[in-house]
Amino acid sequence: MALIEIDNLHFSWTPGGPGVLAGISLQIAAGERIAILGANASGKSTLAQWIAGWLPTAAATAETGGLTVQGKAYGDHDAASRPGLAQFTGQVPMQQLSGFAFTVFDEIAFGPGNLGLPEAEIRARISDAIRICNLEALKDRDPFSLSGGEQQRLSIAAALAMQPEILVLDEPTSNFDPESRDALLDQIERLPAGLTIVLADASLTTALRLAARFVLLDAGRIIFDGAAAALLAHPRTAEIFGLPEIRLAAEYLQSAGLWPAGVPMPQSTGAAISVLRPLLAASGVSQ
Amino acid sequence: MAAAKDKDREKTLLYVPGEGWLHRLNPLTRLTGLGLVAVAAFALPPAATIVIALVATLMGTVAGAGAVFLRRLTLTLGPLALALFVVHGMLMDHPNRFGFLGLDLSHDGLMYMVKILGRIAALLSGSLVFVTTTHPSALLKALDSHGFPPGVSYLIASPLLLLEPFTQRARAIREAQMARGLDLEGSFFARIRAFPALLLPLVTLALADIDHRAQVLDGRGFRARPRRTVLDAPKDSPRQRLARRVMLGLAPLLIVGAFFWH
Repeated sequence: MALIEIDNLHFSWTPGGPGVLAGISLQIAAGERIAILGANASGKSTLAQWIAGWLPTAAATAETGGLTVQGKAYGDHDAASRPGLAQFTGQVPMQQLSGFAFTVFDEIAFGPGNLGLPEAEIRARISDAIRICNLEALKDRDPFSLSGGEQQRLSIAAALAMQPEILVLDEPTSNFDPESRDALLDQIERLPAGLTIVLADASLTTALRLAARFVLLDAGRIIFDGAAAALLAHPRTAEIFGLPEIRLAAEYLQSAGLWPAGVPMPQSTGAAISVLRPLLAASGVSQ
Repeated sequence: MAAAKDKDREKTLLYVPGEGWLHRLNPLTRLTGLGLVAVAAFALPPAATIVIALVATLMGTVAGAGAVFLRRLTLTLGPLALALFVVHGMLMDHPNRFGFLGLDLSHDGLMYMVKILGRIAALLSGSLVFVTTTHPSALLKALDSHGFPPGVSYLIASPLLLLEPFTQRARAIREAQMARGLDLEGSFFARIRAFPALLLPLVTLALADIDHRAQVLDGRGFRARPRRTVLDAPKDSPRQRLARRVMLGLAPLLIVGAFFWH
């Protein structure tokens, strides 16, 4: 049984309003790292909120279909076990703060404390979350005084301290400069292997770095579900995102007859180097 | 920059770090003491309220917060004392008038001023002792560890924590609206007319924030259990528990006594 099952989900924010999700069916297995990609208003953030259990609400329900986690709708899990199922980290880091804690340490402790866990277990969880998200130097700081990148790391740490089965990240690096983005992605890459990560993003760079499976949304429908190579070859990918520079360079080489026949287009700088290095060596170019 | 923000928060809170005996008391003991001072300020006669204010000021100055305490007390109480002196001692039509240094004063008016000022001074000095020696996070932990509902702690913490982001947002809206041509530097009436353009987005965004933050709290299991586990809860002792019970017992006695004294 899949960890998350979405069956023919139709959803709009207002009854009778424009459909945001139009017949989404998707299964996500435990431990998968999946990216939900799409242009603005394609429905990826809304789908991410469904996967994290933030939807439905009393005012916003599915028109048809629904979502189950471990075979049950979120509403059928009890309030104390839901935080252990899924955690959501949104686009605006400051909004993820509880408004209850005066230090980074207390912000991370807030969730496990709410669950009434033993003190030793809470301390162990905090220690792990601080180490993974590299927050040791900030643990006594006021959460609201941190930079956006630091707050994003804190919100991920607070989510990890709940030891969720699923971590949903909605455009976690959208407000970051490239250096901060790379630093955060490094942290996310180091998250425990068994954790299911759902990344909703409009950036191919971020998605290619983190995910192994890619879902492409267009106007609330899934138009692609598969691996990176096929995603990059999909006609809508280039239209929505443009192509990553490395792929553009490879296509240029292919069109010039310089790319080896039968070798797929690279998805990363490393893959491109592994193809180009023997070519350069054969042509006598020093590396 | 970030460290400066941390210091700004500390200034907003008025808390002064320290290791004195007042700081070492459990926050609930200080809170109970403040409650008793508040009851006493209204129940006891003026002379007693002045004694309470003096004792609280001495405690605040010597045992706890020093300069911050005195500065806040003076800045708040000084103008108030002056205003009460002018209004009740000179302007209001109180009987028993006499001349002093060329001023036409009323004895009854001054007595009334002392009565009001004594109450306010007792309340203010007691409150200042509390806020300058109690970090809100310590109070939250004390409340949580003594079984108070988590919602009570949240009501105390969230206004203190969210005030600064709210102010930042108000400033950003102001700048954004001014960039779009809103006149905020014109006449008084121009500013009044511009007010809705500032207030509406602020309120709308605040309401959206509430919804989002409620989701965050649900996601982190807030109130999923009746009791929270509290790390590093402030120390308590049998003596302090006894002191709190005594103070709680004294409060109704003071209220009953007030009916006889007045």
